[in-house]
This record gives sequence, C-alpha cells and structure tokens, in this order.
Amino acid sequence: MPVPPHENIVRAVCPDKWDGQRLSPSLFAGEHLSVSRLAVLLLEAHWDLFHRHVARPPERRLEMVVEINVGRLQDLGRTHPQPVKLTVEPKPEPWNPAHAEIPQRISRGLANRILPALSRHLPPPWLKQATG
Amino acid sequence: MNALACLAGTPAYHTDPSLLEPAETPEFRPAPLDEFDREELLLRKLGPRGWTRWTLFRHHYPAGWGKGGQALSPRTVEGFFQFLKVAQFRHSPPSVFLTDRGGIELCWEDREGRSIQLEFTETGIEFYHEPTSEEGFVELARAEELARSLST
Repeated sequence: MPVPPHENIVRAVCPDKWDGQRLSPSLFAGEHLSVSRLAVLLLEAHWDLFHRHVARPPERRLEMVVEINVGRLQDLGRTHPQPVKLTVEPKPEPWNPAHAEIPQRISRGLANRILPALSRHLPPPWLKQATG
Repeated sequence: MNALACLAGTPAYHTDPSLLEPAETPEFRPAPLDEFDREELLLRKLGPRGWTRWTLFRHHYPAGWGKGGQALSPRTVEGFFQFLKVAQFRHSPPSVFLTDRGGIELCWEDREGRSIQLEFTETGIEFYHEPTSEEGFVELARAEELARSLST
C-alpha cells in the first residue's frame, strides 16, 4: 500500500549532490528513487543510519538531509505541465526499515520544481564531531 | 522549431545512403586536449569551486561508484570536455555534481535566474532548459552543438 500523503520523506545529501551553493537536480530526478520515511524512523535515527550506510567519509560525507511531504510532492507532479501521478512505495531494507521508493520517472523539469519545496536539515553537533 | 528541438528531434530530411559518395578526405576530428589544457579549461569555465569538485569526482571519489568501479567513464569525460570547450557561462559559473548512475551534471542559471541542466553519461547528454521548458537527450557527438545552443 502506498505511503499516505500526510507522511514526510527524506533523502541524504552528500557532496556529490551539494556544492555549498546549489542542490543537484538529480537528487530528485530519475526513476526508482530511494527515499526514507519519517513515520517509521525519526529524523534523529536517520542521521545515524545515513552516516553509517550512505556516507563514505572522508570524501563522501553527509552534508544535509532534505525532507518533503508526500502530498506536496504529489501536488507538484499533478500540476506539472507534463503531469505525473507520483506514489511512494514502502520497500523496507535490512539496513533501513523506513526505506521506500518512488517508482515513476521524475523529469528534470519536475525536479526543478521539487528542489525549492525541500526542507533542509543540517547535521547535528554529534555528527559534525564524529566526522571532524 | 528552435535549435534545441532540432538537436533532440528527428532530421528534417534524409539522404539515401546509396546516393552518398565516400569522402575523399578523412573526417575532421579536433585534436584531443592534453592534461594541462584540460586543467586550464576547467578552471576558466568552472572556476575554482568547479575545478575542485571535478578533481574530487575524477580522482578521489570512492571506487565502486559508476560503471566498472570508475567514478566517470572515459566517454563521459570526453563528451564533457567537448561541451566545455565551446560553452559560455556569462552570468554564473555552473555547479558540478556526480549523479547516481555515474554521470557528470552541470547546472547554472541564465540572466533571469532560470535553470539550465545537463547530465553527461556514457551514452549521451540529457538536458533541461527552463527558459523554453525543453528536455531532451542528444548523442555525445553533438556536445559542441548543444554547448552553442545553451550558452548564456
């Protein structure tokens, strides 16, 4: 059953998707996009999870976590000039029970509308200390 | 139909191959850039930030990324430099990113702040041009044409 519109989802952002000025549109473009559900794991738990499984320091450090509401994401897809009905499908993984996927293809044009709608969370102090 | 649509679309006419004569002179190919020229080009077009990021992705990113354990395939790199040789970024230097499928992504804005995006992959170049809302895909061999069309 798809993730309901009231839930929020997050993605990890490492230096390959953030240069200190711009977020990469490819962060929310393409198909079978991996996301994670805040209804299953709190943001605090995601920091630890992403730090251990997504980041590969020293080059690929965790820079931030971006968040968006599923309903908001679906609105953006629906109102895009080439509308697309976006869904978020739960796909728990052994390393992340909150893992989910957006199976539909998100075009670059749509990603360009999604980026400004993302909330950005910076790493907590303990993570900054852990990664130097 | 504008220039971008022409690049991504089907040709306006087609010549039957049987009517074509073999070329008397070998196909012209520009000389490849050497390492020094490439470094100079990167700094001039992308600025220090872009150059640093390119170097990180090209030489220091963890093995296992992209195809065959390389962060960037040689074909992707070649197409990227063909584009960069011709492209002009007058309003803001582009940002450089690495995509999950091992492509190199360039993003910048035009004078009105509208987004222009490219992704160089082993098979071609995906582009998005917000001023005309166009999206498409062209072969790597057309990198220079695309650069002329998208220069700001």
